[in-house]
Amino acid sequence: MSDNESNASVIAASDIEVDHASLDASITEFAGKNGDYYAKQFHRIHSSTGLLPNTFNLMAAVLGPVWAASRAVWGMFWGFLILEMIAWVQIGRGWWGDPGANFFERAAKQQERAEGFLERAEAARAAGEDPSRFEKLAENIGNAAEKSEALGQAASSEATGILLGGLFLLLLFKILQGLYANSIYEKQFSRWRIDQNATESGVKPKNILLGIVLVVLIGPLTIYKFTVDSPLEVLNEFPEKQVSSVFIDSDKATLFTELASWLEQKIDNAAIAGAGAFDGITAGVRWVLDALGLALIGTPWPVVMLVICVVAWRAAGPRVAIFTAASLAYIALLGYWAIAMETVALVGAAVFICVIIGIPLGIWFGKSRRAYNAAEPVLDLMQTLPAFVYLIPIIAFFGTGNPPGILATIIFGMPPVIRLTSLGVRGVPDSIKEAAVAFGASRFQLLKDVEVPLALPSIMTGVNQTILMCLSMVVIISLIGGGGLGKVILEALQYAAKGPGLLGGFAILFVAMVIDRIVQGAFRRKDQEL
Amino acid sequence: MSETVVKATGVWKVFGDQSDAAIKAIREEGIGKPEVLARFGCVVGVQDATFEVPRGEIFCIMGLSGSGKSTLVRHINRLIEPTAGSIELLGRDVSSLNQADLRALRANHIGMVFQHMALLPHRSVRDNVAYPLEIRGVAKSKRWAVSDHALTLVDLVGYEDRLPKELSGGMQQRVGIARALASDPEVLLMDEPFSALDPLIRMQLQDQFKALVAELQKTTLFITHDLDEAIRIGHRIAIMKDGVIVQIGTPEEIVMNPADDYVREFVQGISKLKLVKAHSILEPLDSYDGNLDGAPRADELADLDQLIDHAVGTDMPVVITSNGEDVGVVTKPRLLRGIQGGKE
Repeated sequence: MSDNESNASVIAASDIEVDHASLDASITEFAGKNGDYYAKQFHRIHSSTGLLPNTFNLMAAVLGPVWAASRAVWGMFWGFLILEMIAWVQIGRGWWGDPGANFFERAAKQQERAEGFLERAEAARAAGEDPSRFEKLAENIGNAAEKSEALGQAASSEATGILLGGLFLLLLFKILQGLYANSIYEKQFSRWRIDQNATESGVKPKNILLGIVLVVLIGPLTIYKFTVDSPLEVLNEFPEKQVSSVFIDSDKATLFTELASWLEQKIDNAAIAGAGAFDGITAGVRWVLDALGLALIGTPWPVVMLVICVVAWRAAGPRVAIFTAASLAYIALLGYWAIAMETVALVGAAVFICVIIGIPLGIWFGKSRRAYNAAEPVLDLMQTLPAFVYLIPIIAFFGTGNPPGILATIIFGMPPVIRLTSLGVRGVPDSIKEAAVAFGASRFQLLKDVEVPLALPSIMTGVNQTILMCLSMVVIISLIGGGGLGKVILEALQYAAKGPGLLGGFAILFVAMVIDRIVQGAFRRKDQEL
Repeated sequence: MSETVVKATGVWKVFGDQSDAAIKAIREEGIGKPEVLARFGCVVGVQDATFEVPRGEIFCIMGLSGSGKSTLVRHINRLIEPTAGSIELLGRDVSSLNQADLRALRANHIGMVFQHMALLPHRSVRDNVAYPLEIRGVAKSKRWAVSDHALTLVDLVGYEDRLPKELSGGMQQRVGIARALASDPEVLLMDEPFSALDPLIRMQLQDQFKALVAELQKTTLFITHDLDEAIRIGHRIAIMKDGVIVQIGTPEEIVMNPADDYVREFVQGISKLKLVKAHSILEPLDSYDGNLDGAPRADELADLDQLIDHAVGTDMPVVITSNGEDVGVVTKPRLLRGIQGGKE
């Protein structure tokens, strides 16, 4: 169809000449200063086929990290700065540090004491008493002093070895930098060709300055701290007391104590002010928990067992059903039945609340990018914050017992269902949504007929994740008075009771495995249907 | 033809914040797309599109990817709001409708078919086809009856209870067509419906679709990037380039008289045999000096293919008739040039 003539004629690969000129221009633009040198070196790298470097950059070897900084090769800068520092510390220790100093000091002190005892022996002799006790002591200490002296000598004689080792390391690192500088810089050049905005090029005064400042700040201080016998006290420990005294005019109070008591007061005030709301939440959670507990514990145990086994069979097949029956037998025979059902009720209540709140939130976040962006840090926080940290405010606001335990479980367990719901909603193809809209669907119809059904597999995965997360909190919430099997474990832990602890641990394991198997089995069948 | 069903007047779509300023600059200064992007940060989707589609016509909109054809057609049911201009559908101004009326219009009068089928994967074929009716609140028994009827139209009887993923691509697209037909709309919007299918299936569906639309008398806007397809299906074709409608005409007009080099380049590879009719290439009777007795005769609507059939048996030219009267003559050189596409 097209009459456009193509300029490229067919050439055998072996006949293709390398066009240095165009590449040279690019390399020169990239390198800036000394562009011709780097063009030459990069060509050598490009034409080599071996693994070993075939160029040597003298500037990089001599200047070390400063060269890397000036060329904005920051990975190399930090790596070799640390390596060179190790070498310099060795050199410092060998050169001016005195490795035997400790021993000599000790020897001098011991000598002094020995002389002291000798004097007392002299005095005793003059007084006509028996000096042999003091003489014996002086002799012993004198021997110790000699030993210390010998050790000091040995350490000092090692100094030369350390010095030489350090020099050798420094030389090695310099050579390595010289050898690999151009290769590393060539990699940076390749990255720069892909994205010129994201990769730095050329020599910028800003980078040289930053490199020098970093080397000057980090190098001498570190070498000083490692090589001098008793460095300045301020380098050993952060002087938080002194800094505190600048702000607070008091001997006892520090920034820490002031802030802590201020926070404590605020939390107390908030707890009192919001008592009604917090009690309401607690009552709601307790209601869900009691309903579930009543169903699981109030119903005759044979009925509950039978129902669980049948559910396992229907949802996940006969093998899971047999495993479930065996687990239930273990739990019942060891007398854990009521307490295990309490655990199931706790987890069930937490999961129920997570799902009730989490799915609508997830749908909202899935539809509104802005809401999701605002919520994401909170979700991250909920998942990364160690549970022990938020147990404290929960106690402050909600007290102890099962409902606060469920609240703690919700904090930890809710993010997955929110995340995966919003992920699922966002993953619904635009084309299908557009089709529904084109046929006149309202926003609610779109949600009901298209978005939720298509997001369902993802939502189910989220619910499954949430169940597992909630299960893993069972032991932790016993710390704030939560009941169930977690309490058994906690008590066993307190008395280091190995037997009961292990038995209870297995009970939790079986509860978790049964729930996990049943839920996964049920969801897998759902997925296959879709 | 008869009553106008779809009417677009001066439709513009410019994406970006300064769209009004951009339109003004394009109108007054005639700047091109790259300059609009540089100066206003706006992307021109559709530029001043005006056309009318009468009832029962298949109106093809042909253009390469990014030429704005999908954008243009989405204005008809207001999936995209125009920046300027107006669209009338069945005499109603689409952009003045409120949300409820717009939904009613979409549900009752417009059927749409998509390139990637866009079927609901969790619903059976029958429920997919019935979905537009479900949106309208039609009872289930009625929905299923209509849906089964629509499926017979596209020859998919026996697949009602399958899930879409169990069907081949061509069958899925037939489900898409059945879904568009189910609500018995006046207007069909076809957004590259056959582009994702293999050539053989595509041809079958094109023929099936053409017959179906002719029978049901649906006004159709058919988007395609394939001129062959446009010529096969369309009564008229609009060719778009960079958001501008370059030419509107019947397939024959476009092939014989391309408006510019862009269209000409497209048309070059098209076979003219079935497209060019005798009336486009005939010469006046008196321009032929020789004797015409016993010369073969053909109607002025005969295509080149038929003219060749007439011409191979004789040395004489073919005499062209209109309503039984001789109106012109086609000589052999004229016929050969006609096959080439009217080169003089």
